Amino acid sequence: MAHSKKAIPWIIAGAVGVIGIFLWKPTVLVYGVQRAGLYASIALPMSLTSGILHIVNLAHGELLMVSAYITYTLALLLGLDPLLALIPTMLVMAIVGFILYELTIRKALKGPELNQLILTFGIGIALSQIITLIYTNQTRKLHLDYVSASMTIGETSFGIWDFTFVALSILMTIGIRMFLSRTKLGKAAVAVGQNPKGASIVGIDVQKTYAMVFTISVVLVGIAGSFFLTRQSLFPSVGSPFTMKSFSLIAMAGVGSISGVLYCSLALGIAEAIINGIPHMSGWSDIVFFLIIIITIAVRAKKTRKI
Amino acid sequence: MKKFLILSALCIFLVSAAFGQGTIKIGGTWPLADVTGEQGSKAAQLAVEEINKAGGVLGRKLELIVIDDELKADKGVAAIEKLVTVDKVDFLMGGMGSGVALGQVPTMKKYQKIVISTGAASYKVEEALGKDADWYFHLHPWDYEQGASYLQGWNDIRKKYPAVKIDRMFLAYEEGAFGKASYDSSKVMFGKDYNFDGASFKSAALGGGDYSAMIEAAKAFKPDIFIWAGYDADALPMLEAAKAMKFNPPLFVGAPPGWPKDFGKSPLADNVMLYGMWAPSINDVNPVSLKFYNGFVAKYKAEPATYFAPLSYSAVYVLANALQKAGKAAFKADGSVDNAVVIKALEETKYLSALGETITFSPSNIIKHQGIRNQKILQWQNGRQEVIWPFEVQTKTPVYPFPAWK
Amino acid sequence: MKRATSYILPVALVALGVLFPLFFGPYPQTVARTIFKYMALALTWDMLFRSGQVSFGIAGFFGLGTYAAALLALKAGFSYPLAILAGALISGIFAYILGFLVLRLRGTYFSITTLALAEIFRVILRNWTSFSGGPEGIVLPQIIFNGDSRCLYWIGLAVLLVVVVVSQYFEKSKLHFSLISIRDNEVSAQTSGVNIFRTLLVVFTVTSFLQGLIGAVDVVSVGYAMPDSAFDSNYTLLPLAMALLGGQHSTWGPIIGSVLLGVASEYLKLKIPYGHLLVYGVIIILVILFMPEGLIGLFRKKKGAKRG
Repeated sequence: MAHSKKAIPWIIAGAVGVIGIFLWKPTVLVYGVQRAGLYASIALPMSLTSGILHIVNLAHGELLMVSAYITYTLALLLGLDPLLALIPTMLVMAIVGFILYELTIRKALKGPELNQLILTFGIGIALSQIITLIYTNQTRKLHLDYVSASMTIGETSFGIWDFTFVALSILMTIGIRMFLSRTKLGKAAVAVGQNPKGASIVGIDVQKTYAMVFTISVVLVGIAGSFFLTRQSLFPSVGSPFTMKSFSLIAMAGVGSISGVLYCSLALGIAEAIINGIPHMSGWSDIVFFLIIIITIAVRAKKTRKI
Repeated sequence: MKKFLILSALCIFLVSAAFGQGTIKIGGTWPLADVTGEQGSKAAQLAVEEINKAGGVLGRKLELIVIDDELKADKGVAAIEKLVTVDKVDFLMGGMGSGVALGQVPTMKKYQKIVISTGAASYKVEEALGKDADWYFHLHPWDYEQGASYLQGWNDIRKKYPAVKIDRMFLAYEEGAFGKASYDSSKVMFGKDYNFDGASFKSAALGGGDYSAMIEAAKAFKPDIFIWAGYDADALPMLEAAKAMKFNPPLFVGAPPGWPKDFGKSPLADNVMLYGMWAPSINDVNPVSLKFYNGFVAKYKAEPATYFAPLSYSAVYVLANALQKAGKAAFKADGSVDNAVVIKALEETKYLSALGETITFSPSNIIKHQGIRNQKILQWQNGRQEVIWPFEVQTKTPVYPFPAWK
Repeated sequence: MKRATSYILPVALVALGVLFPLFFGPYPQTVARTIFKYMALALTWDMLFRSGQVSFGIAGFFGLGTYAAALLALKAGFSYPLAILAGALISGIFAYILGFLVLRLRGTYFSITTLALAEIFRVILRNWTSFSGGPEGIVLPQIIFNGDSRCLYWIGLAVLLVVVVVSQYFEKSKLHFSLISIRDNEVSAQTSGVNIFRTLLVVFTVTSFLQGLIGAVDVVSVGYAMPDSAFDSNYTLLPLAMALLGGQHSTWGPIIGSVLLGVASEYLKLKIPYGHLLVYGVIIILVILFMPEGLIGLFRKKKGAKRG
């Protein structure tokens, strides 16, 4: 009860803000939401690994990039639309994820903390170099008519394809939450995430759970990668900026919070779109991203101390 | 018999004494993991092999030693140190990014080796070199020269094709060093004669790729010509966004350093204009370009995808021709390079290059030896980059205006 | 007796380091100089990590020192030695102030906040063109010692030695036990009288001062600064990798790790011009998998075995 009362001023402030933006530049909301969808759908798979395995996967962006290249190659070879090539891509990424876990991560989890950080850093370098050797670093892009899908309201026309990322991120959130609360594996994963020793005492196979969760998160990265390919150009370093961006989002949301990633993406996406909407200011939009993250983390740290 | 042997041995000795002071060593630094440096270094190697097959230079073979600069200044500096002090090269060559060049300039100044530079467009590099760096031969146009050449190009095109109307110009630029430099120099150059505005965007090459705000600003400005200075990763996504937002300027011009693979195959690419130094279509009007192109494809089984390939290829020929012209005087008795002689020979360079123009050296704002000054204005037509301007190497007439989106 | 022998190796290494340019040419000197830079950064990172805090802000304070020194030399006419000192000080002062914000955070939150601060520095310097020269950066009229590679080497070595001495001092002093107790258990650290916040603030300020110093010396040795190169994320990730590959929580670990990665990267590049980074990545993976305690773990194991 007290909780909902506290939320009222926030809801009012949010509503006023949205109306204000809408009156100023309605498209800012469109672009902000689309951007948020992209951020969230890339960050969500990472929040699963960091919440349950407690690792920071520095190869996250490279896995995104690799899955996009796989989709690209399948789309070209089989003449498939990338969204159909998505299905074999998921399969390949499942294998990649499982092998990566069994060969490397599993071992690193036993070592001192942070070993997985450097391990995944090395994996990221290796993956992007393998792709460079196969494909060179020349940019590639599939041509897809539907990504220019457009909507016109009054005078303004805007792209609507990027709303698929919004849908994708919402679906991912629902999927991950259902997985964690409804399935046996998901429940086990939550238990392992909270207390691996306790979980193994009650008979959960911790190693197997880790392996499955990591594989699932890599498959989710694969899905994000296939969608990513529809709008983005491909080159070996295309994924790396998204590693830190995703990591920042997860920290802002609070490690382990799935729906928090969605809200935080929304806040950041709209904030960035606002700055971009001011003429000659777009260079500063990165600063807003990081300032909001710092403020959120600082405020939450203060709150938790009071408790 | 014995006499004959001794005689012939003596002959061989004399001949090898005259011609055989080993190879003429050229040290090259390029970013090898990037397609510009990868193809640039390979094209330079191609030129070296062609020259050696034809008998070398001054009876000696050329040898190219390439080290990766990794697009990092400290690696670029170490590469120069190794080439000069360990490999003992006679000349230096290469370069792409301005940041690496800024790091390398002090080391190059220390050794005063003759440098044939294929990259580094930033005027900051010229400032760092200073006016005394007469050993630095800069092939690539400086950023401000590129701006000036575009101004001249558009003026020429307007004159020749009166239907082309240009008054309002909008420049979209990526927010890093490359785009900002383009914007600053264009603003100075075009700001006087044109109604000029611009907006920045975060390039997809650096984690961005959202052009909506920029295109909205451009659309509101209603430009006659829309130019974007970004990277190849921006090319198609930006067109897709422009189509979705129904942004349809009469001239749609891109100025990235390279283009994505198979860009021409995209239906959106048709009639996009671009700035560049070279395209395979130049093969039609320039035999050197054709020779380079065929040689490159035969040797590496890939099409040259960036003008850094023909540019680096030209760099080797420029140097080889100058050495040939300088003759034996190019090298002192101790085998070291006589800079004054070679610099003088390089100054007299008149080399019809694969890029279409004849390369000569003359002073730019600060340095004494600037090579190419013009970029070209090209247009994608039926999947090919056709040269529109300069008219001497024109391969097709321009399609104007940019057709409406279907 | 035991004490005397334990000094032999470090003294010999320092002597070797100082005399190195008499036997090796400018190329090895330049490579060594780059290795020293990363080695020093790796050590500063490890010094804070001994308390359990993982900083992702190395590039931020390195870049801050870079820009402060370059701008002071260029715009305020500071001599280079003065600019270097000022660059380091400014970096330290920023860290001291920001410490009140970040040092209350732990774990991932601390890491991300330090990363975010570094990014904020970068974005400000990139966009505030009139002050910083913008994305194209600034060029110094000349580099220190006129680019004499021996002197550049020695100044790089001098900075490294300063960092090593501070690191050793931290390891031997009372501070070390405070740091370890914070890492192990903050509650018991507090009850045993450790002022956690003040301890961390001291270490954070000192390490950031040193990172600024490394950056300031780097900029006067290279002669230019650009936001994207001064705040390159490699300045955060590589030192971290070096420290962990060598062996964490020690002075020796980061030293060994940076020699390994520094030499490997230069050597591989010459042997495999196209594609050397792949081997580099694989080396990192293999070392972590087969030497989870880092390279230094090998020595420790040997020692342990001997004792056993």
